[in-house]
Amino acid sequence: MTEVASGKRPASGRLWQVLLAPRDIAALVAFRVALGLLIFVSAVRFLAYGWVDVLFTGPRFHFTYWGFGWVPALPAPWMHAVFGVLAVLGLCMAVGLFYRVTVGLLFVAFTYVQLVDVSNYLNHYYLVSLLLGLMLLVPAHRAFSVDAWRKPALRSDWLPSWCTLLLRFQVGVVYVFAGLAKLTGDWLLHAQPLSIWLSARTSLPLVGPMLDEPWVAYVAAWSGFLFDTTIVAFLLTRKLRPFAYVVVLGFHAATSALFPIGMFPVIMVTGALVFFEASWPRRLFRGLRARLARSSVAKSAAPAMPATLALSAPGWMGQVALGLALTYAVVQIAVPLRTHLYGGNVLWHEQGMRFSWRVMAREKNGSVTFIVRDPASDREWHVAPSQYLTRLQEREMSVQPDLILQLARHIARDFEAQGKGPVQVHAEAHVSLNGRPAELLVDPDVDLAREVDNLAPKRWIRPAPESPPIRLRSPLRSATAERP
Amino acid sequence: MNTESSRPLYVLRARAIALAVPALLSLSACKSDKVTPADAGTDNPDNTVAATRAALLEASGACVLQTAREFQTVATAMESAVAAHAATPDATTRDAARAAYHQAMDAWQVAEVMQFGPAAPRSLPGGAEIRDNIYSWPLVSRCAIEEQIVNRGYESASFDSSLVSRRGLYALEYLLFFEGNDTACPGTSVIVSQGTWAALSADERAARKRAYAAVVAADVHRRADALVNAWAPDGQNFSRTLTTAGSGNAVYPSTQAALNSVSDAIFYFEREVKDLKVARPLALRDCSTSTCPEHLESQFAARSKANIRANLVGYRRMTEGCGENFSGTGFDDLLEASGADALAAKLRERNAAAAAGIDAVPGEDLAAVLAQDKASMRTMYDAIKGVTDVLKTELVTVLDLELPQSVEGDND
Repeated sequence: MTEVASGKRPASGRLWQVLLAPRDIAALVAFRVALGLLIFVSAVRFLAYGWVDVLFTGPRFHFTYWGFGWVPALPAPWMHAVFGVLAVLGLCMAVGLFYRVTVGLLFVAFTYVQLVDVSNYLNHYYLVSLLLGLMLLVPAHRAFSVDAWRKPALRSDWLPSWCTLLLRFQVGVVYVFAGLAKLTGDWLLHAQPLSIWLSARTSLPLVGPMLDEPWVAYVAAWSGFLFDTTIVAFLLTRKLRPFAYVVVLGFHAATSALFPIGMFPVIMVTGALVFFEASWPRRLFRGLRARLARSSVAKSAAPAMPATLALSAPGWMGQVALGLALTYAVVQIAVPLRTHLYGGNVLWHEQGMRFSWRVMAREKNGSVTFIVRDPASDREWHVAPSQYLTRLQEREMSVQPDLILQLARHIARDFEAQGKGPVQVHAEAHVSLNGRPAELLVDPDVDLAREVDNLAPKRWIRPAPESPPIRLRSPLRSATAERP
Repeated sequence: MNTESSRPLYVLRARAIALAVPALLSLSACKSDKVTPADAGTDNPDNTVAATRAALLEASGACVLQTAREFQTVATAMESAVAAHAATPDATTRDAARAAYHQAMDAWQVAEVMQFGPAAPRSLPGGAEIRDNIYSWPLVSRCAIEEQIVNRGYESASFDSSLVSRRGLYALEYLLFFEGNDTACPGTSVIVSQGTWAALSADERAARKRAYAAVVAADVHRRADALVNAWAPDGQNFSRTLTTAGSGNAVYPSTQAALNSVSDAIFYFEREVKDLKVARPLALRDCSTSTCPEHLESQFAARSKANIRANLVGYRRMTEGCGENFSGTGFDDLLEASGADALAAKLRERNAAAAAGIDAVPGEDLAAVLAQDKASMRTMYDAIKGVTDVLKTELVTVLDLELPQSVEGDND
């Protein structure tokens, strides 16, 4: 008697059963529409606020990602055109027009925009790139789309559950690693940098006067930590999911009101939708329709699903796809963890900081002066980063050693092109992390013009300061202490 | 004796929180009403960050107004002195006009660090470009002034709306102090190619300079009046705009936005003072020779050091306080209210060290210093850099200030 015949399946069989189980397409359609609209709004914001000029066409120098130095920055009209295309493609994705091509182009164009300049890196735009890459695999255009209207053969009321699981995994990774990133002394024991940020927002109506109270920062810090680390589990629990989503809405609404984090809350609120059961949009619309019609009809919202799926022998393509999916998952987990190979405080040395979902984990500012020396003439120049960078680029560069290195090497090439070389380039970089007294971030004796940018540990980064972050005063404690 | 020892701290804290939390929610308006008077010293009745931020904004507005009034006074005197020199040209009136100019420039250089609100460019919140109309450096052109001398553009009714490089304190400095016969205009300029500059006699040129100077001095005086009027409570009262920052304020939608505006202005000490006024002449940047005295600010009056000294005074007024010996409310008080006492002390120490570094440079003419004692100017540069390092790192971090020209939104 086989296991199948006896009702038991081998582990691989059960896995395929889970991955291929049919699920209502409605939730993924809603996610497709929401993500497309988000991209549309984001692209329009960039054009309307002049950010395309400020971030892409304005700077004379662009910081490149390691291994992506070949990605060119397009000149002014073309970069605006890219954002115009992004807006149009976002709408096309929302309505499900030429879905595969649209999402493919969106992925390429959106990722290209991110690759133009490292100093523009934001966690949530990286997330959007990843989600677009995943949506390229998810046929979310098989219902409620122009494509399905044009090609009836394409129509389907369901999709295999791996589509949802992949997206859930991605969004879950963001929350969990964002939570783990807060597992630091600065965040939990000193409530920094939240304390700094909240103290600057005391003019907010209603809650403002409380925000410079240290206990508020501690409550916020621990709430943020607990929220990020646990919300995925709550969202995965069917009975708790509605309450968890209300918390998601509240949490992101609060962060949006308190901090200038643009599209991030909206993207996460949208991303968290993938945790809901597959028919939620149908139930929502049916409920609304019933309410409008003052009817108490509560028929099942889910469409009919196929009874069974052929699970016995997924072909080699299925095996390859599963292998690729597992590889993707391992990479997504390994990349945020890579910083532990470097040791030390990632918030200080920033090695392994990007792509690790350390969202709003530090307040860091630096003052960098590049000291260029011509050993032949013993001549010395002081180069202010503003000679090459915009203020935004300078702010990012000043606290990120690999960007300091990139600019140092560019300065060396620039000087040598002017006939002043070969030169040595040293950086005097004073950096304050979470309000600590400023300390040197990189060894000022190291000639950065001779250093190579690679993934190896950067020995020329100085150790992180060991002092605690700044402890802001409690107004209540001050008043108490001053009492005679 | 530790006053806290008689009662457990946690009890005090719990009671205070229990009493204060509900009250705080309903008393936000009361807090903003209890703002420390601008020149009342560092005492802050609430000793809360919120109250000190509001007090700092009020003090900053008052400081700008105080400095603008100081400039208005000397600009009035300067207009009279320059007019007197135009009417009665002799060495006595010339020296009086020059002395009046020095006083005016010394006062204005203090205000250079306060370019927010109406003084700022129109692209910034509340900007009305008053500063550029008074002093447009480093956007200056000696040739543009010389062309005005030849074509008597200063006599035009529309002169006060002509390019800022033809007006203001830079033009006045040239007109009062430059005694050479040469022109900075290139051969392509009409006044050179048509020989009209060379055709002017020395006397005629001097007469036109005096007349031009009188027009410029009067224009500067009007701008000084405009600046005072823009800030004064009995005028356009921008002070109120600054102190009422927050919801409903069209210029500053939040206290933090107003504070950012003030902190952006004090970055003048980094961009213009450290990098342009000191580093360039020192050949630390944008200079291909061992020194570049041609990049010094005060090319004709040779008062570059006095200008830098006055810039530091303006910076200290904003960061330490606008009262005598920099008493009153400044960023240091906000730091102290926030609990960053050590940083406040460091800020004041660096400011004092910069003042000492400037004073240690011999003489007033930095061109001579560059030629004879470059090391002392380098020491001054390092002292100034000590100030700007604190500004760019710890000050903006602890107070969560945005660096100038930051793009709002989408940070994470």
